[in-house]
Amino acid sequence: MSALALGLLLVLAAAVRAEERSVALAVAEHGFTPPEIEAAAGERLRLEVTNQTAVAIEFESFELNRERVVPPGRTVAVYVSGLSPGRYEFFDDFHQERRGALVVK
Amino acid sequence: MIETLLIMWRESLEAALIVGILLTYLARSGERAGMRYVWAGALGAVVAAVAMGVASNGAAARLGPDAQEVLQAGVLLLAVGVLSWMVVWMHRNARQIGGDLRRRADRALATGRLVGLAAIAFAAVFREGVEAVLFLWGVVVQRADASAPALLAAGAAGAALAAATAWLFFRGFAFLNLQTFFRVTGILLLLVAAGLLTAGVNKLIGLGYLPPIEPQVWNTAWLLRDDSVLGALLGALIGYRSRPSLLEVLAFSTYLPAMGWALHRADVAARSASERGPARSAA
Repeated sequence: MSALALGLLLVLAAAVRAEERSVALAVAEHGFTPPEIEAAAGERLRLEVTNQTAVAIEFESFELNRERVVPPGRTVAVYVSGLSPGRYEFFDDFHQERRGALVVK
Repeated sequence: MIETLLIMWRESLEAALIVGILLTYLARSGERAGMRYVWAGALGAVVAAVAMGVASNGAAARLGPDAQEVLQAGVLLLAVGVLSWMVVWMHRNARQIGGDLRRRADRALATGRLVGLAAIAFAAVFREGVEAVLFLWGVVVQRADASAPALLAAGAAGAALAAATAWLFFRGFAFLNLQTFFRVTGILLLLVAAGLLTAGVNKLIGLGYLPPIEPQVWNTAWLLRDDSVLGALLGALIGYRSRPSLLEVLAFSTYLPAMGWALHRADVAARSASERGPARSAA
């Protein structure tokens, strides 16, 4: 039964996956570029977080409920979707002075 | 240096708290011998985390960051599966076996449950360990303000500090009498498993493999912030998040009733089996 439910979710995920928008988000010594991302309400985003520094970073957001470590020089994809209008802040948990936000309109 | 120590302390604390629950649980139930299993799970996870850090870092990286995240989610889900299966299996067999078989079977059953606890220790330490290794690796490679051995020492000190913090925390439970303690830790253990399950689901949502269904069911940040002391503690122990998605809430809230149902079914099966075999029920 749970296998069926999981299968259903995967199919659902695949269906939703078709309409996604990729947004590049770079992390350098001085912080996030761009520092602010705009998105439409309900949109499915694929945040491509690239760590341009020489040290691992941790992309984290309490508002988005996401947390990902990015090794130096690597890019990870972080998905967010179905968001209501508002400001969703994120930061680098290993260097907390680096901050940015996703603004959903 | 100080920053390295503090970050390693924070990163290790979650794992230390969960391992602390497991060790305290075993110590208080008089199963000190079983603590080996938990230590083996935790130390195995440290080795695995270092191996993974090496495999996914540097120019010769063999493992993409997304593959690494999938693997971490898999470890979390697998550990919860192993623990759940062991608990149900134990429950079922403990009722079926009586008389002479009891003593020999007890040992096998105890071992079975310990494997479940070791799996949880492994998952908890592995989850934080990979992050800690990647962090420490970067700091050491960059070496902005100190030598590599000094930085590694600062990292190790941070991890040791986390272990001490967890130890103090569980010492705080020592005043509870045993019965209350077991009621608390037995339930806490299942809540920990539910929290790890939810963490695995959260990773799969972030990877785009599962839909959140509704990205934010509620927002309890006004009541308990994720970065407050209590919020972080509950986050470490039972996976508290102030803004969970519907799928995570569903995963967490179906786990406990599902376990209850599985245990009840194991009860019924064991009872009917012992009715069919009267020789075995003579205790």
